[in-house]
Amino acid sequence: MSITRRSFIKTLALNSAAAAAATLFPGISFSAWKKLDAAAGGIEWQKTPCRFCGTGCGLLVGVSGERAVAVKGDPNCTVNKGLCCVKGYHSVQILYGKDRITKALVRKNGKLVETPLAEALDLVARKLQETIKSHGKDAVAMYGSGQWSITDGYVASKLFKGCIGTNNLEANARLCMASAVTGFLTSFGLDEPMGCYDDIDHADVFITWGNNMAEMHPVLFSRMLANRTSKGHVKIIDFATRTTRTSQAADRSILFKPQTDLAVANAICYEIIRNDWVNWDFVNKHVSFHKGKTNIGYGTEDHFKFQDKAESVDFEQYKEFLADYTPENVEKISGVSAKDIRYLASLYGDPDKKVVSYWCMGMNQHTRGTWINNLVYNCHLLVGKISQPGNSPFSLTGQPSACGTVREVGTLTHKLPHGVVMKEGHRKLAAKIWDVPVENIDPKPTYHTVEMFRALDRGDIRFMWVQVTNPMVTMPNLNRYRNGAEKDDRFMVVSEIYPTPTYDVADVVLPSALWIEREGFFGNSERRTQHADQIVPMPGDCMSNTWQIIEVARRLGFEKQFPWSEDTYIEDIWNEYIQFHDSPKHRMAPYNELKARSGIQWPFVDGMETKWRYNVKYDPAAKGDDFHFYGKPDNRAWIWLRPYEPAAESPDSEYPFWLNTGRILEHWHTGSMTRRVPILHKAVPESYVEINPDDANRMGIVNGMKVKVSSRRGSVVMKASINGRGRPPQGMVFVPFFDESYLINEVTLDAFCPISKQPDYKKCAVKLERV
Amino acid sequence: MMETSDKKVGKIFLVFAGLCIITLPLVVFSAFSFQPGEMTTTTAVGAQDLDFDQKVEAIFINYDALSKEYLAGVSSARTLDEYYSRRQYPGSPPYIPHKVEEPDLARVECLACHARGGWSEALKRHTPITPHPEQEACRQCHVAMTGENLFVDTDWASVATPRLGRSELPGAPPPIPHELQMRGNCVACHVGPGAVTAIRVEHPSRGNCRQCHVPDTNVKPFRRDNKS
Repeated sequence: MSITRRSFIKTLALNSAAAAAATLFPGISFSAWKKLDAAAGGIEWQKTPCRFCGTGCGLLVGVSGERAVAVKGDPNCTVNKGLCCVKGYHSVQILYGKDRITKALVRKNGKLVETPLAEALDLVARKLQETIKSHGKDAVAMYGSGQWSITDGYVASKLFKGCIGTNNLEANARLCMASAVTGFLTSFGLDEPMGCYDDIDHADVFITWGNNMAEMHPVLFSRMLANRTSKGHVKIIDFATRTTRTSQAADRSILFKPQTDLAVANAICYEIIRNDWVNWDFVNKHVSFHKGKTNIGYGTEDHFKFQDKAESVDFEQYKEFLADYTPENVEKISGVSAKDIRYLASLYGDPDKKVVSYWCMGMNQHTRGTWINNLVYNCHLLVGKISQPGNSPFSLTGQPSACGTVREVGTLTHKLPHGVVMKEGHRKLAAKIWDVPVENIDPKPTYHTVEMFRALDRGDIRFMWVQVTNPMVTMPNLNRYRNGAEKDDRFMVVSEIYPTPTYDVADVVLPSALWIEREGFFGNSERRTQHADQIVPMPGDCMSNTWQIIEVARRLGFEKQFPWSEDTYIEDIWNEYIQFHDSPKHRMAPYNELKARSGIQWPFVDGMETKWRYNVKYDPAAKGDDFHFYGKPDNRAWIWLRPYEPAAESPDSEYPFWLNTGRILEHWHTGSMTRRVPILHKAVPESYVEINPDDANRMGIVNGMKVKVSSRRGSVVMKASINGRGRPPQGMVFVPFFDESYLINEVTLDAFCPISKQPDYKKCAVKLERV
Repeated sequence: MMETSDKKVGKIFLVFAGLCIITLPLVVFSAFSFQPGEMTTTTAVGAQDLDFDQKVEAIFINYDALSKEYLAGVSSARTLDEYYSRRQYPGSPPYIPHKVEEPDLARVECLACHARGGWSEALKRHTPITPHPEQEACRQCHVAMTGENLFVDTDWASVATPRLGRSELPGAPPPIPHELQMRGNCVACHVGPGAVTAIRVEHPSRGNCRQCHVPDTNVKPFRRDNKS
């Protein structure tokens, strides 16, 4: 079958009589799909990375005519080797919701009205210019996403930082991965993991730190289970604050009280040293010790500022610092028995066991997120279990291109594609590649995400353009930020594919091309860059986010910086972008290689991928005879002295429960895509509040009963779930955030890690009431 | 002279025999512990490798595990329409059509019934067999329905379901009309009382299905590149 120019399917020739489903549930009928003319044999399979999480599975999308009709896992992709999860298998259905936005909309007399796209883009450009003129360049902002394609983020950075000259560029990865980044930078000096998914096939022990992998990274979890089945001796330890599917599949489930992971990690190191399990060769050669500031605050007030300061210490001072963290002391804070702490330490300490630690939002969405990242690295560094197959501290990513776009392109206020705005050399490099005067690039970072939305509320920011994210569901302490966005003289531009609560506050809606409707790149958790081809046509006036930004940039007079043609712009932008990373520490693969393969890991040097960084055997940038942590000026990895400090808000007599929020297997983030997939919505049609059975019993709450969850900031009334998929311990409730009908973020607190500025969605105090 | 040389030979022989006694159990042990299956599972996790049909191993293993009664049994309960009604396109993972307990083990429990099949007293049905029992986290892909309505309507459409019995010649074995990835174990779906009647084979005792049935793949007709 030739696919050079596919004919448009005008008649879908539906088999009208879809068989009535004879299900075992009376009253629920599931009709078969509408059938196209083509038979199954007529499907053409094309590769793409999955649209959803940071795992970065390779998919093969089945195309018939101009429609995506099926999915299978790509057997050639080393990430998933042919397997997907339920979201991946049904991912192509996100293209076909009936309420898909295909035309530009402009708010006129309070209502969003269909408008020619060119007119809407003119308005966006004009508003940008007017706002800059009346309120200055720092009154305009762009808020993007870890679901941005790499080229989207790159042109956004070039326009805002290089051309307009403001550092008001942030992305939702600040809410998701910022602590992982600062963790990497403080411990190793360079962002992103040293290891890769191959570690799963080599490890003997897996410890998941506050990480429900069975639901959030299911394909990697399956790979872990397969490793355990085939080897027999492999152990999976779930270390978490609530019992989940991961706990149930694990060999051991160890629960700790929220925030006390800091104390337990230190106690593990205490035990490693006490038993002399320290790998002295490694530590003497490759590790140095440092301490930073303590009692660092929580950022709940406007204009909060914090700058950490590293101070060199020696091993004896580190040992002295750990003296408070005996297993017995930590048992009292954490609720983890001293025996279990010793058990965890013995797993890290056993020289014959290869250990992988996994974490994601539990450690990152944490008011001491940077610290807990540092502390888990400490556990690995003390015993030298790092940068080798099967020995890996591994920070999992939430979004498909949080690494590729936000972290590597640097779409954060302080970042540039290479380096940071504060350094003159980095500004010079950017100005040269971007063809702009170096004075254009402001050396001062402006607002991180929470502060950016506070600035919007205060009126310091007047214009904001949001792409590929839904902040009116995801911002913590949401009431304040929605009020800000709705204020009369704020201008909100929203690039969207479906109506959402963020769309509801928009003054202009730009119709975006989605995933396989356009060409682009993602970058997954394991430094893998993945090219995504356009597989089906864009509907209506839809346009890629990259091209929307280019159109606006040209209207602002930056034709010289945005010269590309619509036929080749993705390739041209890639070739420009990779100049920023042209060193053995970060070299990216060329366009043609990426187009041909199911993802390539950087550094890509002399045609070779790098699976394990900082290890001389695998990493072309590493020098010496075994390991080389070249990210830090002293060429060592840093062990940090980070104490336990309590959460920003803890339960008290008035608000006696911890509120924990998160995701579930079936829904992607705020559900704007997955709720339009029939099977995913029917599997979990609405959000709920998980309550411990004993708490429910005491309060007379039964399954399905409506309960009011309220904090000092807001409240939500929703159904109780008891003995459901997850089980919180006594004194904690858990609410998934995917459902826009139950905005749990009106209840959460906008406290953040002072180093990473990432909010803590896992801990605040609430009360429960029957309604 | 002769004596000493004989002694030498004897000594060498003794040492050799000793070595044999020491190494023999090692060789035997390592031979037994070398299982090709073990090696492939560590590298090809989840995936049915593209060359899996060379050995037809999965089919034979599953086939051997089934009782005679099971092979001969017929369930009239499941129709092809019902089979497809659980799917969103040909080959999508079907949803779970019965109640499942929460909290669940994320794995294994489903396999108690779906690895080998059998009669479910609670559901009054023969259980369908999964073609990929090596995958333990069943509910990563198969989810139970708890709601009935859509969030918004969908324009979803997919290709027609494969037509049955498309033999090239009268009486010839029909080709395999579906994808084989994750579904390469023919016996699982085409044999036994859990199978859909319309696609149940009448000659399960043949075992090696793909000796006669070949995948009907979408390739261009063979054309010789005429260079002469």
